Amino acid sequence: MSKIIQASNLQLAYKKNEPIIKNTNFAVEAKDFVFLTGKSGSGKSTFLKSLYGELPVSSGKLNVCGFDLESINLKKLNLLRKHIGVIFQDYKLINEWTVEKNVMLPLMIAGYSKKVCQMQAQKLLKHVKLSHKVEKYPLELSGGEQQRVAMARALAHNPVLIIADEPTGNLDDYSSEVIWNLLKSVRQHIGSTIIVATHRIPQTLGIDYKQYFLDEGNIYAVS
Amino acid sequence: MQSLKNHLSFIVPLFILLFSIQFSTMLNRAVANYESKLAGDYTIIAITQKPFPKEIQKVVPQIGKIEEIPKERYIKQLQKDISKTDLVYLKASLPRFYSIKLKSFPSREELQQLTQKLKKIPGVQKVETYKRTFNKLQQFLHLAKTASLIFTIFISLIAILLIIKQMEIWTLQHSQRMYIMGLFGAPYWMKSASLYKSVVIDAVIASFLVGFTFLIIPNSANFTSIYRDLGIDLRNFHFFTDVGRLLLISLVISVISVTIIILKNKQR
Repeated sequence: MSKIIQASNLQLAYKKNEPIIKNTNFAVEAKDFVFLTGKSGSGKSTFLKSLYGELPVSSGKLNVCGFDLESINLKKLNLLRKHIGVIFQDYKLINEWTVEKNVMLPLMIAGYSKKVCQMQAQKLLKHVKLSHKVEKYPLELSGGEQQRVAMARALAHNPVLIIADEPTGNLDDYSSEVIWNLLKSVRQHIGSTIIVATHRIPQTLGIDYKQYFLDEGNIYAVS
Repeated sequence: MQSLKNHLSFIVPLFILLFSIQFSTMLNRAVANYESKLAGDYTIIAITQKPFPKEIQKVVPQIGKIEEIPKERYIKQLQKDISKTDLVYLKASLPRFYSIKLKSFPSREELQQLTQKLKKIPGVQKVETYKRTFNKLQQFLHLAKTASLIFTIFISLIAILLIIKQMEIWTLQHSQRMYIMGLFGAPYWMKSASLYKSVVIDAVIASFLVGFTFLIIPNSANFTSIYRDLGIDLRNFHFFTDVGRLLLISLVISVISVTIIILKNKQR
């Protein structure tokens, strides 16, 4: 199987000489469902940020979807991001856009027509049980609903890789269940690789997955 | 509602800026118009023993029209009091009087140069420029022009400060949206397209608003009577060319403003 993420001697830091991730080797294969666990502040979010190029590589090598992130330029980074769907802990929705337009964003960037974007957005909003909130604005929704919109947006363009940072961290059971079910369905039907940073792996997931544990800047395989 | 507020916050300072530019332009046009009218009325008298050479306009190019005042006009009045012999003698000894009209209303320096040039022509005895009346008019027109320039600069400064303030608000409003779009791989043009689109619309609205304002105000009854009394023509507004010029100015200002914001965000 081909590797979708490959890190060798990877070091990540916000400040020079204060690495958060230290000389780590890590690989994820295509279609894997990976959980990244660890205590708060262990560097889970930092590691995920490096996967979509928000945090530059300090040293070592990091290859995501065939792009070398240690030497990537803005044009290539934009191209890489078109293959990735990200679900952020704080949702990162555009508040002045409607729910539908937020979901349409990755499709608009991919260059689809407005009609196609709208159709796909409506289909996904139905999947996350929000088809009745199409015209609402993010600030008119609850936290759980906002996260489901963010989820729909991350899946809109059928990404090769889905990165989710604590996707159910602050959510009620219903919203959490919708999100986990959707992630499972995407992996099954689209074949996306999924990497999730979380404190708690759901007990009733019912699929094969890999688990890694982050501690003091190192990543350890758990299963 | 928020969107309308955002548009108005940019349209209002842009309108003020364009209004002051157009006001200054029209005032300058009115002054120029008044000056050319004055140039038509303004006459210099030159007294000379010899007739002016035919190529006088080559030597003094400011001269628009030169005419000799016929001696018969004032000798006729003396016919009853002086003998015929004396009259012949007087006619022969009298100098020639020339009435000179200029192409444009001169500045004080130009008038001085012109007088000196005329005095250098052989035979010229005196050049009468009616300096006092001229200086008063000159000073009045100079004051009008300076006042208009100061007004434009002052108003433009206020408008620019308001535009900068609005740009700071935009930076806050749009940086988050542009950042999120960037996380999904949006190219530069797509991230900034909505901002450019918004300011282009605002620039068009502001330009046409100024256009319509200048179409209506100078033609209103209150104003027409004032400038008719003053002999000034303020109806010198050319809708299409002037609005086109204002549109160009507002587009340049708007595009520069947005580009600054985008570059600021790019650096983050």
